Amino acid sequence: MGSVFATLLAQVEGEDVVSAGRAIAFGLGVGLGAAGAGIGLGYLFGSMIQSVARQPELRSELQGIQWLGFALVEAVVFYGLLGGLLAYVLA
Amino acid sequence: MISLLAQEDFHPEDEFSLDTWVDLGVLSINKAVVYLWIGAIVTILVGIWIMRFGLSLRPSRKQTLGESVYELVQGQIAEGNLPHKAIGRWFPFVASLFLFIWFLNIISFIPLPISNEHFELFGAEIPTFSLYAATSSLSVTLALALITFFATHIEGIRYNGVGPYFKSWIPPGVPKGLLPFISVLEVISQFMRLISLSVRLFANMLAGHMLILVMLGLIIILESVAVAIIAVPVAVGVYIFEVAIVVTIQAFVFALLSAIYIGGAIEPEH
Repeated sequence: MGSVFATLLAQVEGEDVVSAGRAIAFGLGVGLGAAGAGIGLGYLFGSMIQSVARQPELRSELQGIQWLGFALVEAVVFYGLLGGLLAYVLA
Repeated sequence: MISLLAQEDFHPEDEFSLDTWVDLGVLSINKAVVYLWIGAIVTILVGIWIMRFGLSLRPSRKQTLGESVYELVQGQIAEGNLPHKAIGRWFPFVASLFLFIWFLNIISFIPLPISNEHFELFGAEIPTFSLYAATSSLSVTLALALITFFATHIEGIRYNGVGPYFKSWIPPGVPKGLLPFISVLEVISQFMRLISLSVRLFANMLAGHMLILVMLGLIIILESVAVAIIAVPVAVGVYIFEVAIVVTIQAFVFALLSAIYIGGAIEPEH
């Protein structure tokens, strides 16, 4: 079992490892960024729904804060995307 | 099958490359510059057309639209964030940021014949119709964010004095030993504001346009019309999503954050 693994590893060239690493880095960057955004946006809009259910008259006031929070959370996705792209391009 | 995927000629990133058309050194004219001019002219003309003439106490639909935009910027963006002593000076700036960025983003979804490539029509060379957002260039968004950045710090120093302003960056109740560490973090966070403000708008616009281009480009890459059954509705969906929601939210958030930063610098809470 160990020798099979060793022969497989011996066939992988240095360049393959680098390009595989780049692809994994890109995927991780985008994927984790999207996961974070999913959690953040779900929590944000969930708490917005709860607040409006408790006090409907505050709806228009809270909407400004809601869209601000939405954009700030979405921006974090792009940080992850940017990092992944940098890893892909620079590796 | 894999060899069929090797369509070499599809380069969507070329849509975003800025070739110099008129070489004036640093102030060269390229696609982004032309789109910025168009955005500025459209913003000014639409503003004049909607709100400059024929205002009456019984508003027409046009005037109601203009008034609701004004109410949005005044209420949501300026009122809560800019202190009263500065609102006269900075409300026009924030409102202009909102409108300018909104118009730049909207114009980017109208195909215009302004491009690096040309095609033949009845023997004349016409630039290809293409979608391009001036705000999808980091230079443009960075320039706008830099104006906000300098406005923040200059106003903070002007209203509070150099010492008190920089002291206000440090939250209260910090033990003395941690001060150098916290100060470095605060300076970095101020620069992070600048970067995040510009990159947020840049990445949103770039990603939206790139997604549309790549979705439709899948038809070319995979060299099969059957892909269009999925690709075209998805691309249309992304287009509608962008135009209806993302454009307004990104312009709103850029202006809102500018107002928060300037207001926070003029009257630091601590």
